[in-house]
Amino acid sequence: MTNSGAAKAGDPVISIRGVSMSYGARRVLDRVDLDVHRGEILVLLGGSGSGKSTLLKHVLGLAKPEAGSVTIEGVDITSCSVSELGAVRRRIGVAFQAAALFNSLSVADNVALPLRELTRLAESTIKLTVWMKLIAVGLSDAGSLYPPELSGGMRKRAAVARAMALDPEILIFDEPSAGLDPIVAAGLDELILFLKRSFGMTILVVTHELESAFRIADRIAMLYQGRLVAVDRKEEFTRNVHPRIRQFLERQPDAAPVVAVEEFMTSYLRGSNNDY
Amino acid sequence: MKLLEQVGQAAIIRVEDAGALTLQFWSVVRKLPRVLPVVGSRRRWRSAVEQMLAIGASALPMSGIMALCTGFILALQSASELRRFGAVDFVVDLVVIGFTRELGPLITALSVSGRSASAISAEIGTMVVTEEIDALRVMGVDPVEFTLAPKYLAALITLPCLTVLSTLCGIFAGYVFLAFSMDMNLRIYLQAVAEAVVLRDVAFMLVKSLVFATIIIHVGCLEGMRVRGGPEAVGHSTTAAVVKSTFLVIVADLVGTAIFYLMGWSSIR
Repeated sequence: MTNSGAAKAGDPVISIRGVSMSYGARRVLDRVDLDVHRGEILVLLGGSGSGKSTLLKHVLGLAKPEAGSVTIEGVDITSCSVSELGAVRRRIGVAFQAAALFNSLSVADNVALPLRELTRLAESTIKLTVWMKLIAVGLSDAGSLYPPELSGGMRKRAAVARAMALDPEILIFDEPSAGLDPIVAAGLDELILFLKRSFGMTILVVTHELESAFRIADRIAMLYQGRLVAVDRKEEFTRNVHPRIRQFLERQPDAAPVVAVEEFMTSYLRGSNNDY
Repeated sequence: MKLLEQVGQAAIIRVEDAGALTLQFWSVVRKLPRVLPVVGSRRRWRSAVEQMLAIGASALPMSGIMALCTGFILALQSASELRRFGAVDFVVDLVVIGFTRELGPLITALSVSGRSASAISAEIGTMVVTEEIDALRVMGVDPVEFTLAPKYLAALITLPCLTVLSTLCGIFAGYVFLAFSMDMNLRIYLQAVAEAVVLRDVAFMLVKSLVFATIIIHVGCLEGMRVRGGPEAVGHSTTAAVVKSTFLVIVADLVGTAIFYLMGWSSIR
């Protein structure tokens, strides 16, 4: 996996500098600075609407920031050419939240798709590679199934296998445990740790699941209202006193909406507000 | 003031639609060579063939039956009127010219837009929602080349074929009516048909079917690509795709026919 000569643990692989973005008047990202170091698992935590999906879109080059830059492996993807972007993307594997498998292709063909599209490998080599990737994610006997026949956890594993098809140095997970039961989610966490241990991959995980974050992370970054409020090793992160982080860690609800709902319910039950 | 605002807003949306369609059209056209059988990629051609079956072959029964019915109706209605002038012979001309110039391409386009515009926008809309389009981009595979171009090529090939077949169905329906109502001989009917068919009309029919194919595919794809949010947005997009493509097909038909007549191509026989 370490094919670039200068590669050593600790230097930033992904480096986000001053990235800002707004939709209309709403500021979604506000001068975000974040580094992902080689060989680490960085978990990007944030509630819904915190801007973490938008940040991910920028890291993948699917959106251009209003200000700031995203540098991956030394290439600024916000200003590089299309072919450079393509070269950088080849070094990144992405497992999307909804797995994003192609339903018309079998699992094996899904994993083979990037190999067939982007390389000139012989079909026998592709078959072997696909099989190895499927073994790595624990799906060696599901290659001939189609995505709709898979369970949620299997679909995520298949997505990981496809993300790994081109032997990327960076793996990105968007909400790996969303929609999975705790046991399957834990299995996926184990898979992420296994990939880091055995392939030395740099892994960025975007999630809102605390438990999973603390199980897999080397460092945790937290986004709140488009701002990065903390980036820390996970041990220090638990001791952070930022009120929003405390709220997140202690799973406290936002006060305002609950009060509003209570007020609404009491007035509704009293019958004074029946026109709703 | 409010009215003015609304009119302006609606106009802006239309202009945006037109712009987005043009952009998408050119980006797909640029990728069409990649789909062609020999010079392009084999996998794209294979998916284009799959699309031909989905867009063309499976629409055949429906557009064929629609053309048969319309041909029968046209012959029936016109015969009852023309008989009063003793001009029943013109029924053949009416059916032939009506179908080659107008009804063949139009009926085919309407049946394909009902079946395929919705199917395409639903398929692509679902790909957007489940991040498959994003996945393609991140993998470095151009989604335009991967999904849109094969569909467009398939429609460009199958729609003219379907149009020819449904025109034949319509003309055959005219024969069926005349054979039953006035014992017309097939040989005489075919002779009359051969006299009525003009190469220029056939060319016009094929050009129309290509234009309709373009409209149906690109409206369907654009509505699919525009899906934002969850699965319910896919439903909206399929409705919009059918409504817009049907509407645009008829408007384009009017414009095309107007040009045809203004150029005086209709009178020279």
